[in-house]
Amino acid sequence: MTAGARWVVAVLCAAFLLWAAPAGAEETVSITEAGFSPDKLGVPTNAFGRATITSTAGPVPSPIRHVNVYGPAGVTLDLRGSGVCNKESLERLGTQACPANSRAGFGGGQGIYMIGKELVEEEYTIDFFLADNRPGHVSLLVYLTGSKPVSIEMVFPPAPVIQGPKPYGLGFSVEVPEIKVLPEASNASAKSAFLTLGAHNVAYYRMVHGKRKLFHVKGIILPKSCPRGGWPVASQFSFEDGSTVMAKRTVPCPRR
Amino acid sequence: MAPEAARSARLNARPAARGRLVPQAARLAAPFLGALAICSAAPAHAAGGDLAASVHPSFLPDALGARTAFTFAFRLQVAEEGVPPPLRRMVVHLPAGLGVNLDGVPACGVGRLRRSGPRGCPPRSLIGRGHATLEVHAGSQAIPEQALAWALRIPDRGGRPALALFTRGTTPLQQQAISTATLSPDGPPYGLKITVAIPAIRTVVYEPDASITSFSLTLGAVGTTPRAHAAAGAVTVPRRCPAGGFPFAADFSFADYTTSRATARVPCP
Repeated sequence: MTAGARWVVAVLCAAFLLWAAPAGAEETVSITEAGFSPDKLGVPTNAFGRATITSTAGPVPSPIRHVNVYGPAGVTLDLRGSGVCNKESLERLGTQACPANSRAGFGGGQGIYMIGKELVEEEYTIDFFLADNRPGHVSLLVYLTGSKPVSIEMVFPPAPVIQGPKPYGLGFSVEVPEIKVLPEASNASAKSAFLTLGAHNVAYYRMVHGKRKLFHVKGIILPKSCPRGGWPVASQFSFEDGSTVMAKRTVPCPRR
Repeated sequence: MAPEAARSARLNARPAARGRLVPQAARLAAPFLGALAICSAAPAHAAGGDLAASVHPSFLPDALGARTAFTFAFRLQVAEEGVPPPLRRMVVHLPAGLGVNLDGVPACGVGRLRRSGPRGCPPRSLIGRGHATLEVHAGSQAIPEQALAWALRIPDRGGRPALALFTRGTTPLQQQAISTATLSPDGPPYGLKITVAIPAIRTVVYEPDASITSFSLTLGAVGTTPRAHAAAGAVTVPRRCPAGGFPFAADFSFADYTTSRATARVPCP
């Protein structure tokens, strides 16, 4: 083969690879940490977890469209003493609009998007509020903010608490809208995410018959038993490219 | 109390070079007077990046040589409604001549304090009360928390009188923390310093520790009528006032290794 022909073949191969990469792209989700604090059987707790998202196609994973988070079977919710936040008020006024006792958790992570050919990374935070605290109707409001380099505030549609498939228990389901920080930017993706949910050691004052009374919110309550091998937890991520990834992890049983 | 401990419990804020201890065998009981302090110093702000620290000392009453309720307050602020980094250490410099007498004040074990709170300690180990405001930046929010503070005598450390600052917040997080402090002589123009070690105040996983944004503590008391909220120990205003007023200073060290210093003067009576 002549030098010219080799060059043509190389360019064709490169072009093919560039074209083929998105079609073969695959997102990978790893739950790098998950647990409960405190991790004692049958007590109110905070659930926490951290995940990273990568893609075989390059530095920008496909944008997330949906996330289901599943906790272990046997986890219960006790939201007595909590309040709720109105989605429209949250959209209009920000977190100030939500009563303190509607806070359900916090989170954040690293986002990434492209403007032209430039990759832009941006830290984001998440605030979780209770949109509904009635047993059987519990749902969360997810308020996402980023500030540098581009300011963004967004309220996701209410995320209902759901019953996961076996061997999981309660979880929640988040519909993630398109996140475009600028009109010329690509839809934003997440490289990492972390969250803490629960009301361990949380208490609020309420007026009862004209008297100020302290209410302890229990929130998430761990099961009274732990299966051999630990509690299974999982997250199911659905991406804009149509792919779905289920990431699993086991939280070790509490030490006796 | 052992004689050695009794000696170490009587400290007078004179320059170390002079070193003479002023006996003050007072056991005073008084209300928490911080908010009513009539003699307040003009606060001075300290530059440390965008963090501003200010201290606000005051005496009530402020007569020279008189027993007094001494209130020391500070405020830490950062620009744009941010939250200052968590405070890890603080050294409060007190003016020469200020007397702090802990004679006859029993010590409460730190373990006991941790288990049972101030109520589990001998009532006369309580030497002061105050309050604090804490803040944590969780998610996108700066969440404030009010806390009550108690100052109690604990066993001496390294031969120096020691105090515990027990703070307890109720809402939104029920949280308590114990800071420990030692009293020791200081160089001119100060006479005594209080070195406070502040523990990390945990919030929730992945979110920062809580930061103290303001704090006020009143030590000592006036009057002798026992009251439910009486505090033991005695503080006396210096017998002489230097030109420009009584000097105070505080050095703050933060979890991010930054430092800040604030000074203030209480005008002469």
